[in-house]
Amino acid sequence: MDFMDIENDLMLELYRKLFLCRRFEEKVYQLILDGVVLGSVHLSTGEEAAAVGTIGALEKTDYILPTHRGHCQHLSKGAEPDKLMAELAGKETGYCKGNSGSIHIFDRENNNLGSNGIVGAQFPITVGAGMAIKYKKLNSCVVCFTGDGATNQGWFYELLNLMSLWQLPVIIVCVNNLYGMGTPYSETSLASVNEKPRLFKIRSEVVDGNDVEAVYIIMKELVELAKKESKPALLECLTYRWMGHSAFDQRPYRPKEEIEKWKNLDPIKRAETKLISRGIKSNIINEIKERVNNQVEEAASFAINSKFPEFNVSMQM
Amino acid sequence: MRKVKYKDSIREAMMEEMAKDTNIILVGEDIAKGYEGCFGVTKGICDTFGEKRIIDMPICEASVIGCALGASQLGIKVIAEIMFEDFITVCFDGIVNQAAKLKTLSGGQYNSTIVIRTPGGSAGFGAQHSQCLESIFMHVPGLYIALPSNAYDAKGLMKTAINFGEPVLFFEHQKLYNTESDIPDEEYSIPFGCANIINEGKDVTVVAFSYMALLAMDACRDLESDYGVSIELIDPRTLVPLDFDTIAKSVKKTGRLVTVEEGVLRGGAGSEIVARVEEECFDFLDAPAKRIAALNFPVPISPLMEKAVVPNKDRIIKEISEYLGLK
Repeated sequence: MDFMDIENDLMLELYRKLFLCRRFEEKVYQLILDGVVLGSVHLSTGEEAAAVGTIGALEKTDYILPTHRGHCQHLSKGAEPDKLMAELAGKETGYCKGNSGSIHIFDRENNNLGSNGIVGAQFPITVGAGMAIKYKKLNSCVVCFTGDGATNQGWFYELLNLMSLWQLPVIIVCVNNLYGMGTPYSETSLASVNEKPRLFKIRSEVVDGNDVEAVYIIMKELVELAKKESKPALLECLTYRWMGHSAFDQRPYRPKEEIEKWKNLDPIKRAETKLISRGIKSNIINEIKERVNNQVEEAASFAINSKFPEFNVSMQM
Repeated sequence: MRKVKYKDSIREAMMEEMAKDTNIILVGEDIAKGYEGCFGVTKGICDTFGEKRIIDMPICEASVIGCALGASQLGIKVIAEIMFEDFITVCFDGIVNQAAKLKTLSGGQYNSTIVIRTPGGSAGFGAQHSQCLESIFMHVPGLYIALPSNAYDAKGLMKTAINFGEPVLFFEHQKLYNTESDIPDEEYSIPFGCANIINEGKDVTVVAFSYMALLAMDACRDLESDYGVSIELIDPRTLVPLDFDTIAKSVKKTGRLVTVEEGVLRGGAGSEIVARVEEECFDFLDAPAKRIAALNFPVPISPLMEKAVVPNKDRIIKEISEYLGLK
């Protein structure tokens, strides 16, 4: 075993989460086609390791602000698949009582401060979360997720400036999936994402975002610095979104070879290969898969069988 | 009782609440040291509570509001100052898409316990330092809007705003900051949605808020003494929630309604009040309602132009007397 490798138990837990995220997203896609999941939905199939690896390095007491492409981030932070799926279906048993749908999920129990339908709107809110952690002297950090595209929003630079100026316990995790909707990142900025924080004297790291172990290891270090020394950082996870921007995007803007290349770098297959190479028996892996499959099926049934909330005129504000 | 200025009364309210609750903090630009607030509202707060609780931010209004939003999700009550009401457009998303919707979108898990203080109104500073934008925010469910017209109301409404538990826009007025009211020594607060009947009357209902309530009070006094007309002047104090019952009751008595506001006529608060009165009190009206407001034009810097665009006492007198057919 490599010195930098993580323990098998932890690796198995990360694998379970990766597989849960994958199955969950596949199920969501099916339920969109079935007309069960409603509204604007953005899948993160292929990007699971960025969420699982970074959030795996957090405690429950740490805060996250996920993106609109956030299902994996919610699940990684501890969201229950049934309540999450119910929310995606607009049902009253969902995390937000069916008010929210996919793009603005909140899970207070797990210190999930909420994802946002306005791309980049999480940046200013992160300032306040980081400030409050310092004000209250909490032993926590806040992780602000972003895609590559949102780093072109002006708010991003306000956050960089303030997290640097005030030395906030904030880590920006950029899930760089190469495209902002249909536009390649390279056509939107001459600066790479990890270059952007450097002007503000913020530590900036890049990692293979499809290697859950590598993501976990670097994130663990950044989290410790954030919590112990209130040092801000940015971590850029290089990854790829297999699906379209939203559920009905046929992705005409992407070359087939590119998709094939990235599918060969499947974070789940890579984690599985690692487990087997470290002597984990395939029956243990299969058990995990079966358990997750059942859990996701149950989540789908829970969502389907739950009721829609009803509107009452007294709810007007 | 003491004579207290509007700007000082707001500070008193904030400091009294800050003394009670260490979870209340202030954020804004140039509010703590040096300037201590562009209009001096936060003067001395830093000396009392320190830089930890009154936080100067760089010039980044979106992050001022963002800072308030994020901190409120972690249980802190934040009073954010936006230096001029016009600058609020820079943080429109934080107010309209975030603060207003947080409670609903999170299914009640979170709410934005923030107060956004900002001064509006024309004081000769031109189109980007003079606006009254309250009607824009009236259009957004989930926001609450207070517009005190005097020092007494300012203190009482600020006390309520801080503990309201919902996002509040607290629109102050540049020309009111140095006006004075009698303020009781003991603690008091004024609930939202509770209009103030400044003057009772029977011939016409005039609804005016913020600085326009002060001008309307003056104008009504002149109209009463010059023409013997009896005017019921109502200051709603908050536009959301709106004390419509008090307005409706008055209109049912007088049969006539005039609204006076400093924001522009088109889509203004007066439009909303008039529409509701016509929907719910039509049978009691003896004449169509009348709106007095700024003309549909950016507030000019030049005095003759500004006078033509922004309502003033003479115009209020002229338009009300024409409306009532007074000669």
